[in-house]
Amino acid sequence: MSDIKAQIAEKGTLALGQITAAAELAQLEQIRVSVLGKKGSLSEALKSLGQVPPEERPVLGALANEWKSKIEAALETKKTALEVLAIEASLEKTKLDVTIPSRKPHVGSLHPITTTVRAISKVLGRIGFDVTVGPEIETDFLNFEAVNIPKDHPARDMQDTFFIGPGVVLRSQTSPVQMREMRNQSWPVRILSPGAVYRCDSDATHSPMFHQIEGLWVDRKVSMSDLKGVLDFFAKEMFGTETKIRLRPSYFPFVEPGAEVDVSCMLCGGKNHQCPICKGTGWLEILGAGMVHPRLFELAGYRPDEVTGFAFGMGIERIAMLLHGIPDMRFLFQGDLRFLKQFGVQR
Amino acid sequence: MKVSLKWLQEWVEIQDYLDRPEGAQQMADLLTSRGLEVESVHRQNQGLEHVISVQIIQKQKHPEADRLSLCTVNPGNNAYLEIVCGAQNMKVGDVVCLAQIGAHLPNGLKIEKSKIRGVVSNGMLCSESELGLKSTSDGILILPEKTPVGWKVADILALDDVILEIKLTANRGDCLSHRGMAREIAAALGRPLKTPKVPELSFASHSGGNKPIRVELAAGADAPQFFGCSIEGVVVGPSPGWLKTRLEAIGQRSINNIVDASNFLMFEYGFPVHIYDADKIEGGLIQVRKSKAGEKLKLLDDSEIVTTGEELIISDGVKPVGLAGVMGGANSEVSATTKRVFLECAEFNPTLVRRAAFRYQKRSEASLRFEKGIDRGGLKDAIQRLADLVVRLSSGVVVGATQGTRLDGGGGGELSQNQTTSIQTSPEWINAFLGTAFEQRRMLQLLEGLDCKVEGVGGDIQKPMWRITPPSYRLDLKIPQDIAEEIARCFGYDQIPSTIPALSGSPKARHGSAVSHRLETLDGIKNCLADQGLSEVLNYAFQSESWIQKFGFQSSVKILNPLSEEQGFMVPSLLPGLMKAYQENERHHFGSEPLAVRIFEVRPVFEGSKIEATSETETGVTETWKLAVLISGPRFDQAIKSERGEVDFFDLKNVVESVFERLGTKGIRYRATVGQASIQSTVFHPGQTLQVAVGKDPVGFLGRIHPKLEAELKLRHPVYWAEINVEPVIALTPSQNRQFKAWSGFPTMERDFALLVKEDVSAENLIQVALKFGKPIAKVVKIFDTYKGAHIPEGMISIGIRVIFSDEAKSLEEKQVDQCAEVIVKKWSEEFGASLR
Repeated sequence: MSDIKAQIAEKGTLALGQITAAAELAQLEQIRVSVLGKKGSLSEALKSLGQVPPEERPVLGALANEWKSKIEAALETKKTALEVLAIEASLEKTKLDVTIPSRKPHVGSLHPITTTVRAISKVLGRIGFDVTVGPEIETDFLNFEAVNIPKDHPARDMQDTFFIGPGVVLRSQTSPVQMREMRNQSWPVRILSPGAVYRCDSDATHSPMFHQIEGLWVDRKVSMSDLKGVLDFFAKEMFGTETKIRLRPSYFPFVEPGAEVDVSCMLCGGKNHQCPICKGTGWLEILGAGMVHPRLFELAGYRPDEVTGFAFGMGIERIAMLLHGIPDMRFLFQGDLRFLKQFGVQR
Repeated sequence: MKVSLKWLQEWVEIQDYLDRPEGAQQMADLLTSRGLEVESVHRQNQGLEHVISVQIIQKQKHPEADRLSLCTVNPGNNAYLEIVCGAQNMKVGDVVCLAQIGAHLPNGLKIEKSKIRGVVSNGMLCSESELGLKSTSDGILILPEKTPVGWKVADILALDDVILEIKLTANRGDCLSHRGMAREIAAALGRPLKTPKVPELSFASHSGGNKPIRVELAAGADAPQFFGCSIEGVVVGPSPGWLKTRLEAIGQRSINNIVDASNFLMFEYGFPVHIYDADKIEGGLIQVRKSKAGEKLKLLDDSEIVTTGEELIISDGVKPVGLAGVMGGANSEVSATTKRVFLECAEFNPTLVRRAAFRYQKRSEASLRFEKGIDRGGLKDAIQRLADLVVRLSSGVVVGATQGTRLDGGGGGELSQNQTTSIQTSPEWINAFLGTAFEQRRMLQLLEGLDCKVEGVGGDIQKPMWRITPPSYRLDLKIPQDIAEEIARCFGYDQIPSTIPALSGSPKARHGSAVSHRLETLDGIKNCLADQGLSEVLNYAFQSESWIQKFGFQSSVKILNPLSEEQGFMVPSLLPGLMKAYQENERHHFGSEPLAVRIFEVRPVFEGSKIEATSETETGVTETWKLAVLISGPRFDQAIKSERGEVDFFDLKNVVESVFERLGTKGIRYRATVGQASIQSTVFHPGQTLQVAVGKDPVGFLGRIHPKLEAELKLRHPVYWAEINVEPVIALTPSQNRQFKAWSGFPTMERDFALLVKEDVSAENLIQVALKFGKPIAKVVKIFDTYKGAHIPEGMISIGIRVIFSDEAKSLEEKQVDQCAEVIVKKWSEEFGASLR
């Protein structure tokens, strides 16, 4: 029995020595097979167990298993150590020049007109406005007569209109949407209508195609103070809480009373006499507004003695130029990527 | 419109505003706050504060420069100054204008002590243009002899007026005169209006054989009132200084005393008037009538018009002598030899005047005032004022005055009073409408200050009802809202509080409404494209016809009055605009690498057959929203060369597919349509095009630009582009929340096939057949390889296809998958003649 004991210990010790000496993962596997494999030395030793008396077998079996575990543990430890060494050796080979610029996919952008419309709609959406749109080619009726500008009215001079056919024009304002909307639904109405409009005008500050957004709020007992409150909220949300608004009497045929609306200069607050934006006046004219003319309610099929309302409109280019510091309106329509890519996908 | 504060001072006391340095700006702010927007304030003496009269004592040549002279001047206190001067038109003894050191002249020049060619100059002698008196001038201004020395030049030239430039709104025709502006100021300041005393017309008898001029109104309601006046013995000559000063201050040129009188009257009273040389009125008649087609008339500006039968003209019974309300005729013009004049102050139909002015491109100060509507009740005052002026200016005598009323039988009678309608409203309603709590008493005061007659017509003292009759000159006051605006404007819009309106009921739900779904889908499309590295462009909706045709499109929507041919037609496709943008970017691209252009546009295109308003809302034009994409150049914005590559067809296909995948759009099909004749055959490479379809209906195409176009446009790199009608896509994009679906937890199984097929077999069809006949376990079919070349017969291609199988309810068995695969292979063979390699 002691023979077998010694044999096991000898083989085990030999294996442990080999494991310690091994330098490659492949060697470890060889050792594992030669010791623990079916025909391995330890296995062979165990095979001879059959020759010992049955009462001694448990002792020898336990001993053999003890050595087996020891060897397995040693194999595992050595394997991990060798793997770590191998990884360390590979690091140098897989080293990169990490200062090479990254592989960049293209970054897209949304047009400033799109993002400005979204920004305005988001602000006014918070107090109940919904966005709606209408066609860009309109009837003379909806573009003019429905907003209280009959034929030969001097107010037609205010807008030079493109004509398409008998009684058909490129809309010169987004107001036709208001009439379409009012004719389609009963009050209350709370809509914003953004979109392209057209006038025969082209220079540094005018483009023959540009964009407007109009707001319309019709309900029982809407007052001019509501108009002021909504515009004040809009100006503060859009341009900062310090912003003030100023209404000046003015005339648009579709509203009465009418107003031009100025916002305080967001750049200088009126403190810079040479301010490039407000030219030292402290104010920027950005909106036209007023109380909806009762004639429009009649044309819409509403009863002017039941409802009142307010409307306002602004040029989106002007707001976009103010928000982004764009110096020339023409940039907006040239499709120049040097310009467009500056604005990213901010939405 | 320009107004002079000194002229206004004759009508309302505003000397305090003229005297205070800040007074002019205060007046401007006051008017602006009342809706009469002041665009600019010009003080005539601005920049002339340090310009004084000096006498030239000595004049020598500049020692260093032949073309300069060196003057010694006396500024009045014998403290002589040496001045270097470039002009030569002055002599010793002349009194001239010296801009002293520190002066900042109207033309922007700042005067500093300076050495000119080594000689110190203590100021500058000024020309009229340097003083802001004229736009150009020769030499320096020599003042009249005996002009006192050492005085401010502004005082000597009486440049003490302030001119306001006012941008009047279209409704305030009543303010197109100094009297009208003065009425506003009087009301604003609560000061009385000073009305000049005008003598009643005194009628003298006709002198030697001259018949009186008879007035005949033959245009019915289009010319309802006419006041005429004959004056004899006039002497035509230059206007006196006061009149020249008034007219020149507001930018008008002085002509002679008669013409100036009519201009003065127009700018003072707001009435356009005309003065004829009475000796040139042949028929002894002034007749107002509609023209006959083809009448010829040479106007005061020497242009000749041929009438259309639409306009009102003035005739003397023999010939036309004026285009009513627009311009007089050259044949009856007042000249230096005129002895007798006939004055006309009349009312003409604003629409006819407007149309005539437009038709002949003769929009004048006169036509402008008629268009906006004159004070129908004020014509008699105006002609008396004009007659008085002419008499005083020309030593003439009034010999006859005529008052015409309309001859159409209707109305007739006394027309001097305007038939203004009265307006019923209440202070309570006005406050509710404005959201204010203005005092009733103050409202009443303000309305009366505006010459409105206010009567109580019911209600009680607390809540009265008012009947308001506006003055005849306020044609814009018609409805209660107009009265509310007057109240708001007089109190000041800043007196209106700010409130947020209540949402009546509950806010309207947006979710699910067709309009918001449409807008959200359009926004979603833009977001998806921007996320894929594309930039949104906005192109003009109009392009030139030839540019549109270059791409094989036809525009059916023409602009009748385009700004230029370049912008003549509404686009039927977004692609021509995208190509313009592409070329614009290429034009300024200088690098050696190809330029990456990745752009898109989401906008409507226009089509129409019979374009005409057939109802209040129908135009005959169809607007279809499209999505257009263009990509070209490197696949990455930045990468090393071996990885970079340039975009190809499949990059474009992915851009388009990704949009619909991300939006969850269902039912979009892509079909190869080789050889099909359509717009795609001119725009797209026939072998690199896919039709995008919804069901059987094509909604767009994507592909490489046609090589012919590529060559014609001289493109240096291939361009891939697509255009898709988004309207049907919107309907296929879910508006509801996406719903949860369970996935299979069981392992999937795969089978790979190498198929040998003819080249023209579409891979998409192979995929669809596999999915169709592999149901329900064939879930995904992928093309993982294509190969042509060695070992593959000519005209054939080898396609590597992987089919992935799974079952939601159980583990698949090998046998089941094999059976399914067998069916698929059989179908491939039957339908496409495919064989396994």
